[in-house]
Amino acid sequence: MAAVGTIVWLSSELMFFAGLFAILFTIRALEPAIFAERTAMLNIPFAAFNTLLLVISSVWCQLGVLKAEHGQKARTGSLLNIGGWGMREWYILTYIFGAVFVAGQVFEYATLFSEGVSIASDPWGSVFFLTTGLHGIHVTGGLIAFLLIIARTYTSHTYSHHQRVGAVVTSYYWHFVDVVWIGLFFAIYILK
Amino acid sequence: MQTSTKLFGFLAAFFAIVGVIYVFATHGSHYGDGLEWVGVMGFFFLAGMMGMVSYYNHLTKKSIGASPDDDPHGEISAYEGEYGVFAPHSWMPLWVGLAATVAVIGFAVGWWLFFIAAFFGVVALVGWVFEAFHGEHSL
Repeated sequence: MAAVGTIVWLSSELMFFAGLFAILFTIRALEPAIFAERTAMLNIPFAAFNTLLLVISSVWCQLGVLKAEHGQKARTGSLLNIGGWGMREWYILTYIFGAVFVAGQVFEYATLFSEGVSIASDPWGSVFFLTTGLHGIHVTGGLIAFLLIIARTYTSHTYSHHQRVGAVVTSYYWHFVDVVWIGLFFAIYILK
Repeated sequence: MQTSTKLFGFLAAFFAIVGVIYVFATHGSHYGDGLEWVGVMGFFFLAGMMGMVSYYNHLTKKSIGASPDDDPHGEISAYEGEYGVFAPHSWMPLWVGLAATVAVIGFAVGWWLFFIAAFFGVVALVGWVFEAFHGEHSL
């Protein structure tokens, strides 16, 4: 049931982001000049690397899910024996990659602020900070979910079905947020 | 789940086709580059949403096998059984909800209220998540 509920909720999340994409493309169509000018200000290699980190974090997350489905909550061998990692280790790695992604976003925001672009400065600023900001809040929410799921593996005696379901639905959310970012990345950074 | 996969797959195709029709129907409208983007995005995201639900049903079918709704002679009662574990009683959702309410009011009132609510929100959320997952009888 938790999985069905998560999918229903993610459906509504998808339509939430549909609204944001509608804003993005409408204002883009109305203000082509400012979009061309501001897109040229973006550090595309930096953002591409950041995107890559988020995509890779999804891979780590899925490896954690495979371990969760096999009922392996934590590593069996030493930390260097990656094959023996459990769900906990893979999720911690996912968390680190996701956290670096958010830090990269903050760095990018700081750069734009120093150049005088903010949510109130111009139509592009409003669109950029609304879409990437609301996405960033979603990533941060996902990081909090990972912390709770990881912490749960320490508080329970056993690794039960309920814990596995929690880990799996968190991965659904993470993949979803990842896919939305790929869409945003192409819409904001790549489209000329 | 086979039926649901087909149903949502059909809806995904439907909204994708309507989206393409919409692109042609609004082409050359008075919006900037000649497309009405709100509807275009709406239809294609709807197609994506239906596709996502269809794919999820497909995965569920693969993991649990045929379910009663695939049998044309199936009865609704065939779906009875355990639907999951629900906490028999918990006050934690109330505290989470109250903290979230005050946090959102904080957007209008001032950030100081938001941060106070966020603190209580963290306490309530941790309480909720770990309520059944600690101690001797953890789930």
